[in-house]
Amino acid sequence: MATPDSAEEKPRENPVLWVARPMATAARQFAKSLFRPSTIIYPYERLEDPKFRDRVEVASGKPFGVGRVWDNYRGVHSLNIATCISCNLCAFSCPDICIDMVTVAGGDPKHPKKCPQIDYGKCSYCGFCSDACPEGCLTMTTRYELSTPKRSEMIYSPEKLNAVFHSKLPMNPIRLARPDNEDSILLDPPLCIGCNACARDCPTGCITMLDIPKPEAKPGEKLPRRIWKEPVVNDSDCVRCGTCISVCPKECLFWGTRK
Amino acid sequence: MSTVTLYSVSYDIASLILHILGFIIPPANAALTNGNVVTGLAVLVFGVILLAASMLNTILLIWWERKLLGRIMDRRGAMHVGYAGLLQNFADGFKLFRKTTVQPREADALGFFSGPTAYLVTSFLLFGILPISSGWNSGILPLSLLLALAIFSFAPLFIFVSAWSSNNKYSLMGGMRSAAQMIAYEVPLLLAVVAVVIVAGSFDLTTIVYEQQNYWFWGPLFVALIVFVAGMLAEMERIPFDLPEAEAELVEGWNTEYGGMLFAFFMLADYLRALVGSILVVLLFLGGWTMPSWVPGALTTFPLAGIFWFMAKTYIVFGVFVWVRASLPRVRTDQLLRVGWNRLLPLSLLAVFLAATLVTVKCVWPFGCLPSMGT
Repeated sequence: MATPDSAEEKPRENPVLWVARPMATAARQFAKSLFRPSTIIYPYERLEDPKFRDRVEVASGKPFGVGRVWDNYRGVHSLNIATCISCNLCAFSCPDICIDMVTVAGGDPKHPKKCPQIDYGKCSYCGFCSDACPEGCLTMTTRYELSTPKRSEMIYSPEKLNAVFHSKLPMNPIRLARPDNEDSILLDPPLCIGCNACARDCPTGCITMLDIPKPEAKPGEKLPRRIWKEPVVNDSDCVRCGTCISVCPKECLFWGTRK
Repeated sequence: MSTVTLYSVSYDIASLILHILGFIIPPANAALTNGNVVTGLAVLVFGVILLAASMLNTILLIWWERKLLGRIMDRRGAMHVGYAGLLQNFADGFKLFRKTTVQPREADALGFFSGPTAYLVTSFLLFGILPISSGWNSGILPLSLLLALAIFSFAPLFIFVSAWSSNNKYSLMGGMRSAAQMIAYEVPLLLAVVAVVIVAGSFDLTTIVYEQQNYWFWGPLFVALIVFVAGMLAEMERIPFDLPEAEAELVEGWNTEYGGMLFAFFMLADYLRALVGSILVVLLFLGGWTMPSWVPGALTTFPLAGIFWFMAKTYIVFGVFVWVRASLPRVRTDQLLRVGWNRLLPLSLLAVFLAATLVTVKCVWPFGCLPSMGT
């Protein structure tokens, strides 16, 4: 008479097999890995070495160039200082707040050129900065070896990132599936004082200050103290960095759809 | 007397040292070259040589286990320090040597410190008994096998002492299991040895080896070999019988509270006992330092050939222990006791019966005849 417990019980097999079967498995594995275990001895060998090509391509099914990792790998950034417009978008978009805009040589002394400096101790390699870069000068490369004995060496200055750019590593121009910002910079005219801060700080120079007619003062009315100019944004040149909005002292610029 | 034994070598070294000393300090010359002094120093040198040899072999054995286990697990073992990681264990030992020994506040200091020391010392003691080659220490001990097994069985006592005085429940459980395991496995182990002794007709390990000149005992006494290896695995507390230090259940078993050099003592003694276990298997079943007659003479007559073949066999036997460790999971306590009493005990009795039959019929196909009885 079968109770539920005994019904589920498997038929007893020969106890010798309990010993023999695992030992055969171990012996098979030993014979397989006697001369070449699966281990890739990392500092001396790398997964992207040509001799591991078969193993990696079979495992991933992805294209895998000889001597390099996957093309869409997100490693150390490369920065082209020459094309950087100091728009600050990379630092805005960084979720880890690991990007600082620091002054680099070769800028105008009044408005020093600022380029991103990245702290790889904090970076999560999300690629948002590279995605946000309007000029395509901040991209990610396939370099992944960053270990260093000093914490301070984890901070890569713009010059160091520029050197990565010149080392001709494969670049990964990241375009994450995020819609571009289609909004424009709009102006709230009564608030503007014509101070020129937005035009001064615009990285692309798409803001020009145009003269506006000074209204006639009605009797008893006091005209606001301001410069009689107003910013005009050229939408085709604008990279939507928002620098003008953040520098505006009167908060008269805002995002909106142009009519 | 032309045979070079280990004792004669150490006697020569001792008398050389003492003569040089006597030359340097002339007034003490007569006292230093006294026969008793030379003998005393010779015993000391004998011990130092054995200590160095067993230490070296133990450390090599750990390396061998790490490499072999690595290959079975599809990886490489230690490989950075020294050639192929040969010096890794020296580095590990040096690290342990430098560490502080922490004694738990409630621990019993006497047992806590004397347990590991006695465990290590008794394990070293075994090396004075085991003959490694024909001239090693032949004829010194007519009951060397019995003495070796007696010293081998000391260990659970010291494990229990150190486990008890650690004042830790996991240590105590480990010690209890060790004692239970000893009782379950000592009987079949000794009965398997009895089978060998019946066939060889002697308790002297050197004689047992010379009795295997026609055939090694593992063939006709295969049952005894199986029982002996299983019992040895339990005695050495290696996987699958490593219940006393089951790290998944008891933190680290009976050496939970030990760290630094005391832990190194335990570790060293464990591998010393593994080495002794492998040596005993080679001595009792695999013909010791002798090789079968079909092996070309050039392979068996070069200097120290006996020691070479002996150690080669020892390392292969230990390789089998490692293979078992890599394959089998740890058994439960009830399974362990059931295997010990229900399976191995009848098997060992069968081995004794087979040995008695072998002695009675004298010659058995395909192995041949026993040397002392066939002629």
